[in-house]
Amino acid sequence: MKTLDQTSSLFWLLVSILVFAESLRIGIGTFQNPGMGFMTFGASGILGILSLVLFLQASGRKEDLRHKPLFAGTLWRRILFVLLVLTVYARVMPVLGYLITTFLLMSLLFWVLERKRMGFVLLYALLATLFTHLVFSKWLNCQFPQGLFGF
Amino acid sequence: MDFFDSIIYGFQVTFQPINFLFCGVGVLVGTLVGVLPGIGPAGAMALLLPATFKFSPTSTIILLAGIYYGVQYGGSTTSILVNIPGEASSVMTCIDGHQMARQGRAGPALGIAAWGSFIAGTISNIGLMLVAIPLAHAALRLGPPEYFALMCTGLIIVTYLAQGSVLKAIMMGLVGIILGSIGLDLISGFPRFTFGINELTDGVGIVPLVMGLFGISEILENLERSLEREVFKTGIRNLWPSFKDWMEAKWAIVRGSLIGFVLGILPGGGAVTATFVSYAVEKKISKHPEQFGKGAIAGVAGPESANNAAAGGSLIPLLSLGIPPNPIMAIFFSALIIHGIQPGPLLIRQHPDLFWGLVASLYLGNAFLLILNLPLIGLWVKVLEIPYKILFPLILLFCLIGVYSMNNLSFDLYVMLFFGVVGWIMRKFGYEGAPLILAYVLGPMLENALRQSLLISQGSFLIFVTRPISAAALGFAFFLLLTTLLPNFKKRRQQYDQFKE
Repeated sequence: MKTLDQTSSLFWLLVSILVFAESLRIGIGTFQNPGMGFMTFGASGILGILSLVLFLQASGRKEDLRHKPLFAGTLWRRILFVLLVLTVYARVMPVLGYLITTFLLMSLLFWVLERKRMGFVLLYALLATLFTHLVFSKWLNCQFPQGLFGF
Repeated sequence: MDFFDSIIYGFQVTFQPINFLFCGVGVLVGTLVGVLPGIGPAGAMALLLPATFKFSPTSTIILLAGIYYGVQYGGSTTSILVNIPGEASSVMTCIDGHQMARQGRAGPALGIAAWGSFIAGTISNIGLMLVAIPLAHAALRLGPPEYFALMCTGLIIVTYLAQGSVLKAIMMGLVGIILGSIGLDLISGFPRFTFGINELTDGVGIVPLVMGLFGISEILENLERSLEREVFKTGIRNLWPSFKDWMEAKWAIVRGSLIGFVLGILPGGGAVTATFVSYAVEKKISKHPEQFGKGAIAGVAGPESANNAAAGGSLIPLLSLGIPPNPIMAIFFSALIIHGIQPGPLLIRQHPDLFWGLVASLYLGNAFLLILNLPLIGLWVKVLEIPYKILFPLILLFCLIGVYSMNNLSFDLYVMLFFGVVGWIMRKFGYEGAPLILAYVLGPMLENALRQSLLISQGSFLIFVTRPISAAALGFAFFLLLTTLLPNFKKRRQQYDQFKE
């Protein structure tokens, strides 16, 4: 994998092959009576060809992108932490309910960027949770899960 | 009802308390979203969509239109004061708007942006009323081949106007078509590409998809960098532009309005493209092109007028043909479908309250926005000063709430996070989300039109070139593709010749 474009083109080539194969499996039908895989068959076929074109274009390109690290200077630990917290939130919210889970989520998210002032973190988390509960649940009647504790 | 009765009827609909309130809330939220980075108009619409389920389709569309308009206004504030475009459609405003602010002319820059937007919005509303109805009548004569050709043209234009590689944009369009095909097949009723996941039977939801690709990915991108931004400290005085300013800006506003309106109507066009074209035109015909980039007021007035006019113009293909011309209109389209209304040539006839209520709400929204953006400009400056460390958890929470409340499913949250990561990686690899979203929405319609056309023609693709409208649309799309690809071939040929020598 020498360049970003080469990497991504190979990824899309793989996707196109998988979709192509699945389209054939579910049936592409005929021109007179197109099947449910007809459109995706065509789309994945063109995607595969364009992925190859992109790969060849990138391979023949003069400028060298290979030494440019994708995550250089990226605070990737912060991003990973936020994604992990959000995934756990999606899993836990139906069990613990909106109020508790959201308060915990907001505390962690505020804490990511403001670690020194815990009082500030907890206060803002509480306010954000109560405000959104009031607006979305009480006023706009959105249905949030109540969880084990009934709130 | 004649034309003027219809307008009066529209105002009666708009002045119903709930619609009046939704119009106000829409423009307020839109301005806020335009000022703040992170959610974007598509995300904001998706966020509020679930909250509209118990209200009428008319109220919902008025709310969404208010957001769309408001974003165009709000985006100019950050462009002028912070040199960071709140939205993509405000990028061009940064160039001269921020220079004006640095020269102590933030007030006239904000003023002309607001007045230009107001005038352009009004012009495009008039255009919307005049064009949408005849177009809807004409559209009744269109069949599946014409619809297929028009949608293809729209997709090609979106990829043609992509900011990065056209090849990558076309690939994203194809990925969008594949994503749009997940779920039940429209004709046979069997599930496809669901991989045994029951939640995918209804397809990938547009709300988690949009929130992920635009909202979450932008937050992840912002989290990578330093989160501080500096608001340019300047006194905001003289919001009413001087006579000299008006003289310099008046034709830029008119030209921006016309460019925005026309580009808004074109499938694949929209506010972003309109601002680029408007700025280029103003610079080209100016007697003092050297002033552009150094604080030329026409460089603010033109693009700001163009983006608002495009917002109105892009409603036309949606309301009269049922074809969303850009990703924002794709959200409108989904909102109408969710509320049980089929966008298309019969919409205006079957739902006059929706069409005329929307038209009247655009006038009202424009007036609201003028009030919000001139006397209350200080409030938006204060909003700009809220640190991102407070904003980002709140934006994330709004995204989570918006997605969850759509179907009350945790699965949608996973989908949003998945597409958030995908969108973030796509940005790193230089792929754009806009063609994907538009193709995702158009995909099922495109497939339906293609299959119906082939059934009609008994398998002959000639049906697309023997009918004049579809032939013209496909010819135009083919021409655009050629103009994109030919320079590449030429370049390759030159490289080959150099290599041979």
